[in-house]
Amino acid sequence: MAVVDLSRAPELTFDDGPESSRPEGQWALTWRRLRRDRVALASGIFLVVLLFAVGPGAPLYERAVGHGPNDLFPYAVNVSLRPAGPFTVTWATSTLADDDPFAFTHKDPPQGTKKTLLLLGADSQLGRDEFLRLLYGGRVSLEVAVGAAVLAIAIGLVLGSIAGFFGGVVDSVISRFTDLVMAFPLLLFLVMLGSLFDYGGITRWTLHGVFNEGVLQLTLIIAAFTWFYPARIVRTQVLSLRGREFVEAAQMVGARDARIMRTHLLPHVIPPLLAYGTLLVATNIMIEVGVTFLGAGIKLPTASWGSLLAQTWGSLLNPNPFNPASVQPWLTLLPSLAIFMTVFALNQFGEGLREATDPRFVR
Amino acid sequence: MILYILRRLAVTVILLFVLSVITFWIYLKVPADPAGFLVDIQHASPAAIADAHHKLGTDRPVLTQYGDFVWRALHGDFGISWQSISFSFGGTPTGEHVGALVWHAALVTASLVLGGFVLMLLVAIPLGTYVATKPRSFADRVSVGLCIAAISTHPLVVGLLLQLFVGNKWKLLPASGYCTTAKPSREALEAWQRFAPTGVPAPCGGYVEWAHHLVLPWFTFALFFIALYMRIVRARMLEVLDEPFIRTARAKGASEFRVIRAHALRNAVAPIVTMAAMDAGLAIGIAMYIETVFGLPGLGRTTIRALAGFQGYDLPVILAVTLVAATAIILLNLVADLVLLWLDPTVTRKRGRGMSRLVGRAA
Repeated sequence: MAVVDLSRAPELTFDDGPESSRPEGQWALTWRRLRRDRVALASGIFLVVLLFAVGPGAPLYERAVGHGPNDLFPYAVNVSLRPAGPFTVTWATSTLADDDPFAFTHKDPPQGTKKTLLLLGADSQLGRDEFLRLLYGGRVSLEVAVGAAVLAIAIGLVLGSIAGFFGGVVDSVISRFTDLVMAFPLLLFLVMLGSLFDYGGITRWTLHGVFNEGVLQLTLIIAAFTWFYPARIVRTQVLSLRGREFVEAAQMVGARDARIMRTHLLPHVIPPLLAYGTLLVATNIMIEVGVTFLGAGIKLPTASWGSLLAQTWGSLLNPNPFNPASVQPWLTLLPSLAIFMTVFALNQFGEGLREATDPRFVR
Repeated sequence: MILYILRRLAVTVILLFVLSVITFWIYLKVPADPAGFLVDIQHASPAAIADAHHKLGTDRPVLTQYGDFVWRALHGDFGISWQSISFSFGGTPTGEHVGALVWHAALVTASLVLGGFVLMLLVAIPLGTYVATKPRSFADRVSVGLCIAAISTHPLVVGLLLQLFVGNKWKLLPASGYCTTAKPSREALEAWQRFAPTGVPAPCGGYVEWAHHLVLPWFTFALFFIALYMRIVRARMLEVLDEPFIRTARAKGASEFRVIRAHALRNAVAPIVTMAAMDAGLAIGIAMYIETVFGLPGLGRTTIRALAGFQGYDLPVILAVTLVAATAIILLNLVADLVLLWLDPTVTRKRGRGMSRLVGRAA
């Protein structure tokens, strides 16, 4: 009896050249469609660069220039309290050697003081490194935005699929809730809750120093008020799919509800959620900036894009009066630009992703 | 129909109840002592603090406080703002009445929102119509691109940049402050003359001054919504221009201008106003940023001051603002739904909203 050596049998492949009859996988198709969308692709590259800059880039740059985001450089602020602009080299010391309060310039520090580079100038009257604070602020803002989006989508995925699949009370409760929240000014609630937790407790949570103070609090608050939208998307999707033949077939074979949801419905729900998640991150950045600006978000000295914007403007109860001698327009322009570019890239990438994952979409 | 309205109103009452309970709950959780509004907590004797509690009525059980608030609110009395309260020798409280306070603030917010809304319509409708008549032209592509950019721009950023450059640096328009539509009284002007050397701004009033001070806030407000609504007008217009009745109108020899104005525009624009009513919550959120930046004493700024003032949580003001804002938003939504129903009886009571409409919502 001849023994067939299976290990030496020619491998069966479906790959017969470019005219392959094997259908493309979902993700391969998405990638192919996304690659054609130049704007979305450019935005994606920008986002990757940004993630690198605020992630490993910030500590690397800190090591390269030799000072941290909270170090003070009073020499980067002139005597009329105007912070220095971009590309400034200043004395790396936190004490002024001034002896004459009426002098028009600072007195040079003692011999042997080193100099240091402030790439985008000083951030305020305190003279911290604006570029480093933008990087670390971006890290905080993105942590809040991405964290809240992930959390909101996780909650929305679970509750939305339960509501869509089983219907009934859960469904109507979630739907009513969404309607109410959509009608109400979200910002008012966020500011209210933000000032509630201002007094300690959750504000101090840092998960052993992984996050800055206040990040987790803001993340949780934002997620608590944004999970309705992903829940709604999942619910409509599941609702339209649960009557389809493949679900019935799975039920007939005896699959349990959890299995149907996980293996049969989830793959349909993930792509639109992914696209929506990107857009949600953009929205969350806007919310973080707004809530922090209004004084209910990230607290100083931790930098975030919101607090960098607020810094030159002052605080809510006493905004800084405009003084042409001390105002540095860069300090408003730079965080504005950072926020705009990030949100714009996220929006473009999200739209591109949505179009690429939607099989019905034709350009 | 009547039943529908009644049901919606019942939901409104429930929502208002829930909101007031939440506001009270937050008040209980905030560790700031309301006695701080009357005495210096750090130095006052326990008897004085207890007396302050008694005067404010905060020594009573919570349920009594809540019941008392509801009872008086039903009679149109929201009490006196704790930030301004003081007691005469007879023990009668004097100070700013919350009802009047909220009314004045609501007028400011209304002039910001309505003016910005009119400005938005004046730009978005003609522009959206124009680009819809020339789809895929250069103007169309540019304006759609600008729209996406405008949606990605934080209203705070727009406001701060306009204030810094147009208002403060170039001095083209007033950078902050609000003027009532009523002319300042002679007494107010005379009183100001005495304080003028201290740098107190002159009292201003009258419609010209009012509009002059609101130009920058209106523009900031409108910019965000122009981006949202121009896309809607354009999409609706493209849809309508494909309808058979447009072809009929053209076949009958109507000029292109007449086709657009009399036949297409009417059908395309009618739902916009109702849509705007649904965005009232978002509008109040955006107004909060703008009021903060431009120093307008509107609802948003009043709330934030009440939340984050020096002494703590000014409960009467916060309750009143929350309830007034929620009532206004819900009623606007109801009116919008009814108008939509009346305009187009085939519309079911379901609000279809695309994903990109959700994006702008929370910002």
